[in-house]
Amino acid sequence: MPGGEWVLLAYRLPREPSTPRIALWRRLRQLGAAQLLDGLIGLPADSRTREQFEWLADEVLEAGGEATIWVARPGSAGQERALASRMQAAVAADYREVVEQAGAARSGPTGQRKRALGRLRRELRRIRRRDYFPPPELERAVAAVEALAESVGRAAA
Amino acid sequence: MRWATRSGPHVDRTACAWLIRRFIDPESEFLFVDDPDEVPADATAFDMRGVELSHHGGECSFEAFLHRYELDDPVMWAIARIVHEADLDDGRYDAPEAPGFDVLLRGLSMVRGDDEVLELSAPLYDGLYEYLKRATLLGREPA
Repeated sequence: MPGGEWVLLAYRLPREPSTPRIALWRRLRQLGAAQLLDGLIGLPADSRTREQFEWLADEVLEAGGEATIWVARPGSAGQERALASRMQAAVAADYREVVEQAGAARSGPTGQRKRALGRLRRELRRIRRRDYFPPPELERAVAAVEALAESVGRAAA
Repeated sequence: MRWATRSGPHVDRTACAWLIRRFIDPESEFLFVDDPDEVPADATAFDMRGVELSHHGGECSFEAFLHRYELDDPVMWAIARIVHEADLDDGRYDAPEAPGFDVLLRGLSMVRGDDEVLELSAPLYDGLYEYLKRATLLGREPA
């Protein structure tokens, strides 16, 4: 089976100053991008990921670095599976964290539960934005946050 | 004046087009291109790679317009925070309206052509401006 399309960002940034480098890493983490090699980053291609990489490429150029954008297919299905499961494992860990925190929040007082609910809903939304290969942990995290919401609703009733 | 941007406008490009028409150039004409090389010489490009009125330093194009044209209206900056989060979703600002705006504009661009998306979205930004202006004056959410 031929793999899907990926958008790749190949870049090089000067060592100093470190601010653009840190800003880039933060952004890549928010986007859930996979690092293939030092200076080579990938995401499944769609109009959003491609656009976000284009903005990043511009910022690398403005910081005095080099950057090019490529659209590519993995050479083998196995290669794509390995990359996808690595990305999946990263978001799965984030979802497990949400499950844990939602569980812990349920035993707290109502006000605390309400605040935790707002925070975990936002966190869940952020994780889903960077989740390209949803793992089973997604459903568990959604269920855990829903259970917390119900416990807040019951307390309010 | 002629203004050019990428086709398939979502929140940042529609907000920029609204800003251009309301605050910079009431006679503006918009062109949509698929590649930066297609921008005609007499058109000002925005929200495209390699141009001034685009993303810089982690800011979106709408913010670039506010800087460039020195629009220091606090209501416009309140809109900018929403557009920024809807477009980049990087958590720089607290803008709970952003995900809703993002979905509305993405959905609109699925069922309408580029010109029509600009036309239909302009009253939304007019309304957002009015709402945020009242909120700023009142210091709380208007009824």
